[in-house]
Order: sequence, then structure tokens, then C-alpha cells
Amino acid sequence: MDDDNSNALRRMSTRTRKVAPKMAAALGSSDNRSQAALARLEALENDNAGIEAVEMNDDDEASLDEDDQAYMQKRSKGTKRKTRQAKALENARKAPRSFLELLHEANLESLPPHVPSYLRAAVGPPSSTSRRHFCSVCGFSAKYTCVTCGMRFCSCRCQNIHNDTRCMKFVA
Amino acid sequence: MSNVVVLDNGGGLIKAGQGGERDPAVVIPNCLYRPLTSKKFLHPSTTTEEDLTSAAIRRPIDRGYLINPDLQRDIWSHLFNSLLHVSPSSSSLLLTEPLFSLPSIQRSTDELIFEDFGFNSLFVADSPSLVHLYESSRRPDSLLSEAQCSLVVDCGFSFTHVAPVFQNCTLNYGVKRIDLGGKALTNYLKELVSYRSINVMDETFLMDDVKEKLCFVSLDVETDLQIARKQGKDNLFRCTYVLPDGVTHKKGYVEDPEAAQRHLRASPSAAMEPNKEAYQLETIAKTEERKRVDLTKNEFDLMNERFLVPEMIFQPADLGMNEAGLAECIVRAVNACHPYLRPVLYQSIILTGGSTLFPRFAERLQKDLRPLVPNEYQVKITTQNDPILDVWRGGSLLASSPNFESTCVTKAEYEEHGSARCRRRFFH
Repeated sequence: MDDDNSNALRRMSTRTRKVAPKMAAALGSSDNRSQAALARLEALENDNAGIEAVEMNDDDEASLDEDDQAYMQKRSKGTKRKTRQAKALENARKAPRSFLELLHEANLESLPPHVPSYLRAAVGPPSSTSRRHFCSVCGFSAKYTCVTCGMRFCSCRCQNIHNDTRCMKFVA
Repeated sequence: MSNVVVLDNGGGLIKAGQGGERDPAVVIPNCLYRPLTSKKFLHPSTTTEEDLTSAAIRRPIDRGYLINPDLQRDIWSHLFNSLLHVSPSSSSLLLTEPLFSLPSIQRSTDELIFEDFGFNSLFVADSPSLVHLYESSRRPDSLLSEAQCSLVVDCGFSFTHVAPVFQNCTLNYGVKRIDLGGKALTNYLKELVSYRSINVMDETFLMDDVKEKLCFVSLDVETDLQIARKQGKDNLFRCTYVLPDGVTHKKGYVEDPEAAQRHLRASPSAAMEPNKEAYQLETIAKTEERKRVDLTKNEFDLMNERFLVPEMIFQPADLGMNEAGLAECIVRAVNACHPYLRPVLYQSIILTGGSTLFPRFAERLQKDLRPLVPNEYQVKITTQNDPILDVWRGGSLLASSPNFESTCVTKAEYEEHGSARCRRRFFH
């Protein structure tokens, strides 16, 4: 709906633009772009936690209560080696849940609007919609947008680097 | 009666010590790490120099909240037994908890404290009120201690909170949060450096060091960007960080610390003067410089990254986050409070948290904030001497106050009433 409205208000040139079908698909799928942008933001909260599966075998002293141990013994009697699937299941059971999962579980949306909560403490969107754009390659202010992926670059040189190294690499 | 352990359990650093003392006895990272040489996750040691290259890290805290009690138990038992040498069963605990903790997290924290460690009693405090307490005791004649009211800007490891405090209580309806903190900034710097020069995606400790030593807050981004574009000596911001080679030095260092600081001395106007002759020379130098870049050398240059990284706190929108910057966040927090409080809040802004240690943070905030605040109000920003430890010091003060014991929840009360009932005592 919103898209339709804004398109009606916007003055469009009458010239028919010829765009290659693949390009049109890439342009149209704002989904991919926003997904990539979200993934980048999400990555800012990452720790390099290493590969969990490797150390799971090592830390036997931590967090194994009795029925866990019984469970593991039973398992080791029955089959000689744990299958990968069993290992994965076990890890998933033991893995701590992320904060976002806990947040979802707490169901804060159901609180009445006057109660301050984690969700209502978020600062909210900025008052001005303008944002500065910085070149994704060199960091200076970027005038141009990549037509394929929507990232920014400032010059021909940076465009080439961008195309060679980064463009659409994260979606593939 | 018994001694009080004050524990500021941050996402990045644990600050712990006995209540009543001036400084925390132990400050350790709140994580376990596994260096390449080890198969097990280790406790961070304060004494021995370890090679932390490409160490994997596990943190019990995600986005500021305790999500992995098992891991936290591990770290705390190491802390209490080997570092602090206290026995939990004969002491009380003053614990800081982030604002708006979820009920499920509070429950698991209580279980951890009373059932696993068996503390005598517990007091849960939030950091803004502790900062306010410390500041008002440090300067008893200032406005903020006379009005009993301040605005605490806590820019920490996991997120940034702006919290109005009135009469030692945080006004939780006025609290605003930006989901950006030191961890996100380090990760952002990591991403930039990895893309532009050397892959450092695994070097969290190293990049923390780079961020702390080299990043600063720009007062005028446009001008600074132009300076950063210059070549040769005119470029005040270019500096080189040498990576550890694992043989002669285990830690990275800034190649020329003097040069790294020169941007703080130079006046922006002098640096902006165009110099045509120099420019011609530079074009020659430029081509040579390009050849000179050698990826096999274990060092990298930083230029505009130095100020564009902390810039994100002031304008998260540039990163693509749909969140307002710090100055606007402050205005919203103040506007959520009673109009009578507003002039006082603007005059008693306290900056705390490790991410406010970037040079010129306060100046920039003042510059951003002034146009947004009504003319008749004064804006006064107070910085702290040691923004990382001052929450703990507030806690230490609180723990040594005479009626502290009576405000705690005891173990017996917890066993009788459960977690949720006992939590009501702390008003949050």
C-alpha cells in the first residue's frame, strides 16, 4: 500500500527505462537488501565464540547434573559413537538461549502502554530522516549507490573494488 | 554484621570488591576465552601475559542481559574463590543489574545467587542511581546533590542508557536506550579494518586495544573527513598500528604514539588551509605511497575509521539503524520527565561508562545537544575521572551506609517468598 501511494505522488519520467530482467529482479527485491542490512547490524553484536561443538566434549565438569550424565552413559552403551544428529540435538538442548528469544518469551507487548519496559525504553527512530552515507570501501562521504546491492561508494576506483570484492557476495 | 561483596557485573568487565573500599579489588573481563594454544576455555588471568591471538570468547551476557547462568556461575566461582577469597555463605552481595531486566532473567539470577552460591542476602541496584550517589557524595555542594536529581548517560559495553535519577531512584519511565555500545563499536571497527586491510575478524582483544588507543570523537565530521583525505604530513589522522608478531612482542602497539595524538593539538582552521605547492608534491608522493602498501607487513593504517567509529553513537542512522543519536536520546529522556525537573536535568548530565572515554566525547555531546535544548535552559555535562569504576564506587558507598543490611533481601525471605515477591522491594 505504502509503495503504491508514494509512487503515485512521485513525479516519474515518462521515458520507459530498459533494465535487464536480472537487474530488475535485483532492484525490486528490497527484501534481500534489507536482509543484508539487518544481518550486518546483527553481526555487530557477535562474539567470536568459536565452534561450540568442539569444546562440548571437553568441558565435562560444567553444568552436567545427574540425569544428564545418566543420559550420556545410556547413550554410550547403546551406540559406540554418537551420531552427528544426536550431538547436534544435545548441543541445541544445552545451548543457552539468546536474549532475543528470552525477550520474545517474556511477551512484553502484552503489557499496558504506560508500564515502562525494555521495549518502551528504546529510543526510537531519529527525528530527521536524512542520513549521511559513507563509502563502504574507503569511508569518505559517498555520492553513489550501487545499483545491484545498494551499498555506497564514492568514486570509480571504489566502485571497481566494490564490484570485485563485495557486491552481492553476501547474498549469494 | 557481615562483609558485603559489591559486584558490578558488566557485559565487558566485572568490577568486584569489598563494600566500603575506594577501589574494586578485582577488575576482570566477564568472559572465558580459548587461545589457539589451548583446547579448553580459560579464565582470564590478571597476571600472566597470554597470547590472545585469535582467541575464541564466550560471554555470559548478551545485549547487556545475563543469558547464560552456567557460564556466569563458572566465572563467579572463580572470582569468589580464587580472586576475592570470600565465602558467599557469610557475606551479602550488592549486585548491579541492567535496567528493565526480564523476569525470567531475574529469576535465574536469584537462583544463581541464593541456591548455587548461597549468599546471605542480596541487594540489587541499578547503575544510574549508584553513579548519582557517587557523584553527589563527591561534590556535596553541587547542584545535582542539592537538587537530588541528575541525568546519567551510561555508555557501556552492550548499550547506552540515558536515565534520569531523582532522589536516588531511577525514573524508569524516562529511561531511553540506544542499542550501541563498546562491543558494537569494536565489531564495527573490526569489520572496517578487515575489509580494508587485514582480516582481524577473530581478534577481539586486539581490536579493543586499537579502539581504545586510537579512536576519538570528531567535533566536525565534514572538516575532519577532508583532512583525512590529504596525503603525507597534512593528514593528521593517519597512524599505523603494528600487530603482534608473537615473537618479540605479544601485544600490538601504535607505531608513533606522538603522531597519533597530534590531531588533538592542531587547530582545525590551520590544518584546513589549502597548499597548492604541497599538493603537487603530494601527487608524486601519492603514487609512490600506493606502491609502498605491502600486505605482508603485519601492520595497518587507520585514517577516517578513527573518528567514524565512535561517530555511530551520535548518529546510529548512518549505520542503517533506525535509532536516534545520543543527543536526541537525551532530549527524549528529559522530555519524558516532569517539566519542573527538566532545567535541573539538563544542568546535571553525568557521563559514565567505558565508551565515554573517547577523547572529546563530552565536547561533541555538548555541541550536538545545545541546538536541541530550549534556549532558557543551561546544558552542563560532567565527566567522571574514572567512568568504568564509578558505578562500583557508588555501590561501595551504598554498601557501607548504616541501614544497608535492612534493605537487603535475605536468603530466608527468598526461600519463603520466591524470587518475584522479593524483587518488588527494589522498585524495578
